[in-house]
Amino acid sequence: MQSNMIKISNLEKIYRTEEVETIALNKMNMEVKEGEFVAVMGPSGCGKSTLLNILGLLDDPDDGSFLFNGEEIAGYNERQRANLRKRTIGFVFQSFNLIDELTVYENVELPLIYTGVKASERKERVENALDKMQIMHRRNHFPQQLSGGQQQRVAVARAVVNNPKLILADEPTGNLDSNNGNEVMALLTDLNDAGTTIVMVTHSEHDAKYAHRIIRMLDGQTVTESILREQL
Amino acid sequence: MYAVVNIAGLTLGIVSCILIGLYIVNQLSYDRFNVKADRIVRVTMSYGDANQVQNTSVTGNEAGPQLKLTFPQVKSYVRIYTWPRVVKYGDKMFDEKQMLYADSTFFNVFSFHLLQGNPATVLSAPQEIVITKAVAKKYFGDQDPVGKTLQIGTDPTANTNYTVTGIVADAPAASQIKFDFIASFSSLTGMHKRPSWFNANYYTYLLLHHQDQIAPLQKQINTYMKEVSKNELGMTGSEFLKLHLEPLLRVHLYSHVGGLEPDGSITAIYILGAIALLILFIACINYINLATAYSAGRGLEIAIRKVFGAERKQLFLQFIGESFLLTVISFVLAIAIAVMVLPLFVQLTGIAFTAGMIVTPLFILLLWVLCLAITFVSGSYPALILTNTGLAKILKSGVRLASSGGNLRKSLIVFQFVVSVFLIISTLIILLQLSYVRNKNLGYNKNHIIVLPVDYRMRPQYDAFKKAIENDPQIVSVTGAYESPVNIRWGDGIDAQTKSGKASLNVNALPVDLGFIKTMDMHLVAGTAFTPADLMKMDTSDNYKNYQYSFILNETAVHKLGWTPEEAIGKTISKGRSGIIKGVVKDFNFASLHQPIGPLVIFLGPEFTNEMFVKIKGNNIPATIDFLHNLWKEWAPYRPFEYHFLNDEYNNLYKSDQRTGKIFTIFSILAILLACLGLLALAAYTTVQRTKEIGIRKVLGASVISITTLISKDFLKLVIVAIVIAVPLGWIAMHRWLQNFAYKIHIHWWVFVIAGLVSVFIALITVSFQAIKAAVANPVEALRSE
Repeated sequence: MQSNMIKISNLEKIYRTEEVETIALNKMNMEVKEGEFVAVMGPSGCGKSTLLNILGLLDDPDDGSFLFNGEEIAGYNERQRANLRKRTIGFVFQSFNLIDELTVYENVELPLIYTGVKASERKERVENALDKMQIMHRRNHFPQQLSGGQQQRVAVARAVVNNPKLILADEPTGNLDSNNGNEVMALLTDLNDAGTTIVMVTHSEHDAKYAHRIIRMLDGQTVTESILREQL
Repeated sequence: MYAVVNIAGLTLGIVSCILIGLYIVNQLSYDRFNVKADRIVRVTMSYGDANQVQNTSVTGNEAGPQLKLTFPQVKSYVRIYTWPRVVKYGDKMFDEKQMLYADSTFFNVFSFHLLQGNPATVLSAPQEIVITKAVAKKYFGDQDPVGKTLQIGTDPTANTNYTVTGIVADAPAASQIKFDFIASFSSLTGMHKRPSWFNANYYTYLLLHHQDQIAPLQKQINTYMKEVSKNELGMTGSEFLKLHLEPLLRVHLYSHVGGLEPDGSITAIYILGAIALLILFIACINYINLATAYSAGRGLEIAIRKVFGAERKQLFLQFIGESFLLTVISFVLAIAIAVMVLPLFVQLTGIAFTAGMIVTPLFILLLWVLCLAITFVSGSYPALILTNTGLAKILKSGVRLASSGGNLRKSLIVFQFVVSVFLIISTLIILLQLSYVRNKNLGYNKNHIIVLPVDYRMRPQYDAFKKAIENDPQIVSVTGAYESPVNIRWGDGIDAQTKSGKASLNVNALPVDLGFIKTMDMHLVAGTAFTPADLMKMDTSDNYKNYQYSFILNETAVHKLGWTPEEAIGKTISKGRSGIIKGVVKDFNFASLHQPIGPLVIFLGPEFTNEMFVKIKGNNIPATIDFLHNLWKEWAPYRPFEYHFLNDEYNNLYKSDQRTGKIFTIFSILAILLACLGLLALAAYTTVQRTKEIGIRKVLGASVISITTLISKDFLKLVIVAIVIAVPLGWIAMHRWLQNFAYKIHIHWWVFVIAGLVSVFIALITVSFQAIKAAVANPVEALRSE
C-alpha cells in the first residue's frame, strides 16, 4: 500500500475583484499516492490550473488543509514554500516557459543553481538529464532555435534535473503536434515508471489515458474519479 | 504614476531651460538697449616693457579729449569716474556706492532714459547731478528734487553742494554702466583736472560717426600712441603705452580686463547653453523610454483598436496627441515653477530678472516652438513603434521592441550617467577648491579684523581716534593702510643696486601705518617691523631733502633682486625717493588665489591711509561693534558708521567662483534626478519585458534577492561604463578649470571613487525599487499573462 503524497481536504480558493467573487476551488478533496500518475480534466474555468498552482506551492489556499508527505503546509510562508518547492517539485508547462535569453544547457541548469548544487555536480546532472531527453546535441542552442517538441523535452529535462518527487504538468502537449505529444507523454510515463509522482492537467482524453487515474472537475469540485489501471 | 513621472521629468527639464534661457538672453543683450551701441567703443590701455605688460580697462583723462581732437572719426567721448561718496540731504545721510562722474555727453552717447531734465544740459556745468527715481524717493520723498541741493562728500575744503538737474530711469539689468547718481565730470577737482595719459582712473567711451571706422581707427591710434609715448611721455627702449578700442557690444562677454562690471564670459554662455540643451535632451530621452516602457503594457489596447478598424494614422495621431497633452501640461507647470523659483535664481545670478521677462511674446513664442519640438521628438518614436507592430504579433506576444532599440536605450542611459558622474566630479572638485581657497593660510590672519573707512576729515584726527579705539579691552590692535592686504592694486616701480648692477622692478606697493605687520599677523623672515623712529626719518621739511622711506619687501621681491632675506636688510632701494629695507615679510597672498604672488613693497606712509583695520578679540562681537559705533558717532558724525570684516572682503574675491560652484551643484542634482528618472523608466520597461522570465525563475526556486540582483546587475553595468567614460572627462575639465588658480588643490583619486559610489548607490536604489516590485510579484500572474 502506497502512502499519500498529497492529501487535500475542503480546500477553498476564492478570487476577489472589486465587484465579483469567483470561487475557483470549492471545498475540494483529493488524494495522490506516492508514485501515482493522476490526470485532472475538466472544462475551462473549472479550477484545474488553480489546483495545480496550489499543489505546486505557487499559490495559497484560502481555507482547508493541504498535507504534503503528511505535513500540513497550508500555513507555510513564502520562503518555506519556495524551499519545499525547489527541492521536491518539477514543473512542465503548456507553453514550455523556457527563458529565451538562456541556452538549453543554462535553462536546464537553473533549478540546480537555485538549490545550491556545486558547479561540478551541476554539469554532470544537466548532461544526464539532456541525455535522457535525447536533446544533448542541442545543448548550446537557444529555445527559439528549437521545434516545439524539442522545447518541451528541454522543459521536461529542466523539470527532472533536480530529481523531484512530484512533477506537475499543465497541458504538456497542448502546443505540440501528435507525434511530439506522444513522445512527451512517453517521457512522462518513463519518469513515472521510475518512481516520480505526476499530476497532469489536460484537455486531451488521449493523454489522460497514460495516467493511472482521472479526476474530473467542475465548478471547483471533483465530480468523478475513474481508475484506468493499477499502480504497480 | 507613469504620467506623473513623465510630466515631472519634462517639467524639470523645461524649468532649467527657461531659467538658463533667461540668463543667456540677458547676457547676449548686454548694452544693446543703447541705440548707438554699434558705434560706441570702450578705450582700454596696456603699458609696460618687453618683460611685463599690464592691461587695464581704465585710461588717463587725456585719452578721450585727445582722440576726439586728433581723429575726425570720433564724434564725441564720455569719461566715467566711479567714486563712492557720502550723500547728505537734511538729516538724511548715506554712504552711496553707485556714484558716477561723467562728461556732459553721457546722455547723448548712451540711451539711458531721462525722466526729467534736458539730456543735452543736465551735466553741462560743475556741481550738477542726476539721480534715479529710487534715490529721489529716498532723499526727497514726494517732493520734486529738481533744483534742490544735495551735499556730496565730507571734505570741508571742497564745494560739496550739487544741484539736482534731472531724474533718470534705473539702468537696464543688461547694462555695463549702472548708477544711482551721475554727477558732472567738471565737478571733479585736484588731480582729476591735471591732464594725464598715465593716471588711469577713467572709463573712456568714444562715439564714432560710423561703425566701419573702428578697425581703421585702431590702426591710426596705434601709430599715434607710439608718437605720444616717445615724444610726450619720453618712453625709451621697449617701453610702451597703447590704447585699444573694444566695441561696446563685445565688452561684457569678450573683454578680459574687467571694468565697471566683472567680465562675463562667452565660454560660460556656450557651456550653459549646452547644459540647457543637454538637460532638455535628457528629459526627452526619459520621455521616450518611459513611453515605450508604458506602451509595452498597451499591446492589447492597440490590438483591439486595430481589430475594430483604427488606422495607423489615427493611432499615430492618438499617441502624438497624448504626448502633446503631457508636454503642454509640463510647460504650464514649468512656467509656474520658473516664476516661483525666480527669486532664488535672482539671488544665484545677481541679475534682477522679473517674471515679466518670461511672459514676453518672444519668449512665449520660443517656448511654444520648443513645446511642439518636444512633442514631436518624444512622441513620435513610441507612436511609431506602437503602430508599426503587426497585429498578430501584438496579440501573440505583446509589444516588444527590437534589440537594436534596446542598445539605443542603453546608450542613452549611459550618456545620462556620463553627464551625471561628470557633474558630480566637477562639483566635488569645485567645492573642494573653494573650501581650499576659504581656508588657505594666506600668510596673514584675516579673521576678526574690522575695516573702517578713513577720509579727508578723519585723517587729521586719525591718531587720536586710533588711541580712543585701542582703549577698549576687546581691541587687540589698530592699524591703517592705503588699502586692505586682501587685494593690493597699487602698482609701482623700484630701483636697486644689485649684485649684477642696477635693476628696476615692477611691484605692487602698499603704504601702511605702524603696527600693520603685527595686526595682520604677518611673519617677518628677516629684519624688523616699522618703528616710530622710522616715522621720524620721513622728514618733509626743506622740500623733502632729507626724506627717507622705510621698506619691507616680500620674499618674492627680494628673490627677484637676487638677494637672500638676510642680505636685503639695510640695503638702499629707491621708489622715487630712496629708503632702507627694514624687513622681509614671508610671502602672503595679496590678490585672489587665481594669481601667483608677485613682488611687493610695503612702505611706511600713514598719510595715505584710506582704511583702518581693527583687530578684535572676538569674544563679544556685537558689543565691540556697538563700542565702535558709539565712538564713530562721536568722532565722525558727518558720515554714517559703515564697517565690514576683512574676511568678507576676501570672500568677495571669489563670488564668481562661488557662483560657479552653486550652479554646478544645482545642475548635478538636476542631472542625477533626471538620470534616475530615465533609469526608473528603463528598469520599469525591462521588468515588464522580463515578467515571464522572472516568473519562471521564481517557480524554479529563485529568491527575491537573486531576482533583484539579476535585474540590478544589468543596470549597474551601464552605470559602470558611464563612470569609466566620465572619469577622464571630469579629470580633464577640472584640471583645466584649476589652471585658473595659481594656488590649487591636487585632484585626488578618491574624488572619483566618491563620485562613482554616489552614482552607483543612487542608481541601485532607483533600480531596486522596480526590481523588488517585480521579484515579489506572484509568479502565477506572470505565467498566466502568457
